[in-house]
Amino acid sequence: MLSAEVNDLLTQTGPGTAMGELFRQYWIPALLASELAENDGPPVRVKLLSERLIAFRDSDGRYGLMDEFCAHRGVSLWFGRNEESGLRCSYHGWKYDVTGQCLEIPSEPDERHSSLCAKVRLRSYPLVRIGDVLWTHMGDPAQVPPLPEWEFALVPPEQSYTSKRWQECNWLQALEGGIDSSHVSWLHSGGLRTDPLFKGSQGNKYNFADMKVFFEVVESEGGLLVGARRNAEEGHYYWRVTPWVMPAFTMIPPRGDHPVHGHFWVPIDDENCWVYSYDYHPVRPLSETELQAMRDGHGVHNQYVPGTFRPLQNKDNDYLMDREAQRRGDTYSGIKGIAMQDASLQESMGPVVDRTKERLVSTDSGIIMARRKLWQAAEALRDHGTKPPGIDPAHHRIRSVAIVLPADAPFADSCREALSVRPGQRHASV
Amino acid sequence: MQPRPTLSSSCARAATAAEARFRISYPDMASRASRVIALDEPAAELVRELAGQPWHGGRFLVFDRLTPAGNGHGPAADAVLQLADGSPTLLSSELDGADVAVMIATPAARAEVASVIGDACASRWVMSAGLVVAGGAVAGGAVAGHAAAGHAAAGDAVAGDAVAGNAPAEAVVAALRPNAMVLVVLRSSDDVAGILSALRV
Repeated sequence: MLSAEVNDLLTQTGPGTAMGELFRQYWIPALLASELAENDGPPVRVKLLSERLIAFRDSDGRYGLMDEFCAHRGVSLWFGRNEESGLRCSYHGWKYDVTGQCLEIPSEPDERHSSLCAKVRLRSYPLVRIGDVLWTHMGDPAQVPPLPEWEFALVPPEQSYTSKRWQECNWLQALEGGIDSSHVSWLHSGGLRTDPLFKGSQGNKYNFADMKVFFEVVESEGGLLVGARRNAEEGHYYWRVTPWVMPAFTMIPPRGDHPVHGHFWVPIDDENCWVYSYDYHPVRPLSETELQAMRDGHGVHNQYVPGTFRPLQNKDNDYLMDREAQRRGDTYSGIKGIAMQDASLQESMGPVVDRTKERLVSTDSGIIMARRKLWQAAEALRDHGTKPPGIDPAHHRIRSVAIVLPADAPFADSCREALSVRPGQRHASV
Repeated sequence: MQPRPTLSSSCARAATAAEARFRISYPDMASRASRVIALDEPAAELVRELAGQPWHGGRFLVFDRLTPAGNGHGPAADAVLQLADGSPTLLSSELDGADVAVMIATPAARAEVASVIGDACASRWVMSAGLVVAGGAVAGGAVAGHAAAGHAAAGDAVAGDAVAGNAPAEAVVAALRPNAMVLVVLRSSDDVAGILSALRV
């Protein structure tokens, strides 16, 4: 349960809001690199943290992310012409470079042209490619943090795959699903048996053999470690450890030699978010079979309405609910696919869930702690200028873990090495 | 089975902002019967301080002593607890009818105490949870404190490391692990009140 004031604080991320300022401390995903695949390609409309932006890649391969609207008459630059190292408004020909600096105002006399141009600059943000993602920092340009060092984005390209989807609800209720390990045994039980990116691991057998999950939540430097344990062989526990790094990164514990996957949850506005879903393997290329499964929407990925990032299963078609599959037990909720099983339920809560009415139980402790850390960090930043956790790239060098440990072993300390990125070494997984 | 048309009032469309206005509003359901039990003296200070705040009917208790089995040998049969005003009560009577027991512990807690309370919860099907305050001061206004400074201090302490250890709490965490369905290891007691509040204790 949260008060209405705290719920507002955590869910509102526009300019000037406490949580919005928190998000603006970090490098966050802005687009997939594939959305700006070529120089002078079409510009792309981007909405992030309630700001409408336009992204483009100029003739020299430089990436730009700036105010969507021309400084002249407020026309959307999505209609613009991306040419000769700048984006030109289709209305009167005003032209901007990737920093938002106006380069040309064709209607002005040559004598005054350069001085007037110098006074016109659209708000812009840096846009940097790391892995399959273009990252931006929307905060103070004088305080840009070091670039992110998430392993999924740093491994060779053939070892990683990232997709994104539009989710029609506030970012926080989507993120909370990534921290809430207790729903997996229910909502995703069908997927553990059938999904090509999940099935077949030893860990799954522990999952099915012991439905009574115990949870342990431990604070980490960047956020939290949420450990879920089940009985394994005599005197041992099977641990699945999910890291959450502030504000919006989660990594699902691996299964066997399957690629590891996880998410970034990025606010579009207060009622919509982007869910970036990555899959990678630390030491080997993804197989063609695995890649095809990801493209086909298995695992944490999804199928799309053609030409969009809107899931094919969406609220306009009741997520293609299949009651027969639900009755047979193929899926627990009747919705196909792990990603859309989550999204359908989270969207059903409404655009911004009213947390004053919820009835949390102790197995929700990971969610409770994550909210508290976000709340405390947002207030500490607002009131004292304290930099929040999760900015330091050291906090990014983290892995999820699936491991069998002796019953008396504390998971966080026992897995200390396995929870850290070790380039060239495989992840800890059973 | 015949496919059904998706109507504008079907459940999915009802998740829009416009439709959310029509969610019915009614008073909160009955409160859970919650017991908050301090296992050791530093935790007791915190629990006594918390007990003075407004809650949803939760009872705040402090472990006092174990009571021996009838023959004086073997595992403890019960435990004597203290209410916030210092009056005694029995663990067994407090857990009868309880929905959840939240144990508050610091590294000073004894494994035997956690075991007795955990067993008593298990035998009554009472949900058990443990909050372990692993670091930082527990007493002295900790409840009203704020974690802002705590973030900076923690970051300074182990900068450059993604995973921090909780060595001082290892023993108590190990003791609580078999006896609590949920364990949360906290660096500061500041979060205890917040977690209990979120759980509507």
